[in-house]
Amino acid sequence: MDLDLDQLRHMAVLAELSLGEDEERRLAVEIGRIVAYVAELEAIDTTSIPPTAHVAGIEPVRSGDGWRADVAKPGLSHDEALAGAPRAEHEGFAVPGFIE
Amino acid sequence: MNEDVIAIAGRVQRGETTAVAVAEHALGRIDAMNGELNAFLTVARDEVLEQARKIDAKRARGEALGPLAGVPIALKDALCTRGLRTTCGSKILEHWVPPYDATVVTKLREADALLPGKTNMDEFAMGSSNESSAFGPVKNPRDRARAPGGSSGGSAVAVAAGMTPAALGSDTGGSIRQPASFTGTVGVKPTYGRVSRFGLVAFASSLDQIGPFATDVRGAARVLSVIAGKDERDMTCLAAPVDDFEGACEASVRGLRIGVPEEYFAKGLDPEVEASVRAAIARLEADGCIVKKVHLAHTRHAVATYYVLATAEASSNLARFDGVRYGLRVEPDRRVAGGGVGAGPTKSALRAMYGATRDAGFGAEVKRRILLGTFVLSAGYYDAYYLKAQKVRTLIRRDFDAAFGEVDAIVCPTAPTPAFLLGEKTSDPLSMYLSDVYTLPASLAGLPAISVPCAPTAAGLPVGLQIVAPALREATMFTLASAWEGSTRS
Repeated sequence: MDLDLDQLRHMAVLAELSLGEDEERRLAVEIGRIVAYVAELEAIDTTSIPPTAHVAGIEPVRSGDGWRADVAKPGLSHDEALAGAPRAEHEGFAVPGFIE
Repeated sequence: MNEDVIAIAGRVQRGETTAVAVAEHALGRIDAMNGELNAFLTVARDEVLEQARKIDAKRARGEALGPLAGVPIALKDALCTRGLRTTCGSKILEHWVPPYDATVVTKLREADALLPGKTNMDEFAMGSSNESSAFGPVKNPRDRARAPGGSSGGSAVAVAAGMTPAALGSDTGGSIRQPASFTGTVGVKPTYGRVSRFGLVAFASSLDQIGPFATDVRGAARVLSVIAGKDERDMTCLAAPVDDFEGACEASVRGLRIGVPEEYFAKGLDPEVEASVRAAIARLEADGCIVKKVHLAHTRHAVATYYVLATAEASSNLARFDGVRYGLRVEPDRRVAGGGVGAGPTKSALRAMYGATRDAGFGAEVKRRILLGTFVLSAGYYDAYYLKAQKVRTLIRRDFDAAFGEVDAIVCPTAPTPAFLLGEKTSDPLSMYLSDVYTLPASLAGLPAISVPCAPTAAGLPVGLQIVAPALREATMFTLASAWEGSTRS
């Protein structure tokens, strides 16, 4: 199965990826092949089988200990938080215009 | 002086050597070998010597040193290190310097470990050969034409080549165990939740787990005992007490019941790997283990299940790389981005920047997985792929639950083949995915597993024996691995 090019382009829009035309064609073939492989799952009987979103039987830290105290602690400073930004202006993250 | 974790820590604690001498030795090995092996992406020369001087000063003041005193430990470049660049093997983070340490890094520092640098990896941990790194592949020191495995290939090679006696990696579907198998090192994937993931760049959050590589089982046990335990900054991190993993390495295997799953000795398994693993099982039986056949019937669906779930989670996790808060940003020329005959609706400058940044910053394998993950989560396909895979994940877990009703641990090969050649699988993504077939089931079930070297092939390529234990029973896994390792040395 190939993913058709329109489907692939729709996924690229959803995933915010600007792909070149050659790349779109190659990825449609490759992903189509993987989708055809994972389609083997269809044949497995999962009637009344609940889905696993997270491995069960183990509870996160809050249940063993109770919730941690809600105490404010220092986090990153403003400068530290902005230090990795490709563009920072007016003490914030700068983005290109997005109002059409 | 290429000693193991326990020996180095003991000698530094007793003052028989200095942390500075150990750091200089590690840096010398890295300088001599890294040009060819490409295991380290960043060497923290000044930082590690400064750490070493502080440890030596602490000892000079008469203070007790930590359990990893002066032990050099390489860090996979998916682990955030304050002030030291963290690339995740990607162009999109090539120059990123994190403002904080991962919890595991904090714990290693507190244990007086030395942190000489950051290791190469498949981009965003997506790969099984280290060939998807944006910074070139790592070479396997056992045979430089071969892949070291992945995605934690750099960490495996740092240990295999004697640059550091231990390293940290992360394992989502086998990314510690498979490279350990390919390089002849010990690699541990702990129980999901055993180790805090705070500060690990996320790939697939329901599967990711940090664990150690080491030259020997006890060394891995000590490193795990340092990094394990609850962390209020990771709500999936378990509060369960951390067992005495090193003590477990001394325990007897007599009477332990080990399960051999027939499904792991099926078509596609290299005959030399099979012979090596079966010989190890026979030795454990001779040492007093009770060997039983078990069935893990849904193993054959693990690859399909994993590649739906992991890519779905990845497509969501990697949405954060958008050129705004950190990493690469590419702002296309508006006339090109929005215009042109038949170019469709004009994108906002913001969305054009997102698209151009992600197209330039992500490599081919990452794009493939983001798009596949987007597909399986999209309207009309969610139930057929994503929800279905979550249900099959339940069946895979139930297989293990049933098997662990009869046995204390499961033993099988770590990988179906020894290290394959660089370039051998890069043109066929699916064949690369299938190389993880034996490590994926324990990942999907959240179980702890170790890869420990067994007899190499006739050509001298390493082979890994995988031992899988029930959740939070790492101690059983260490007992068996240590006994096997001991029998190979006697």
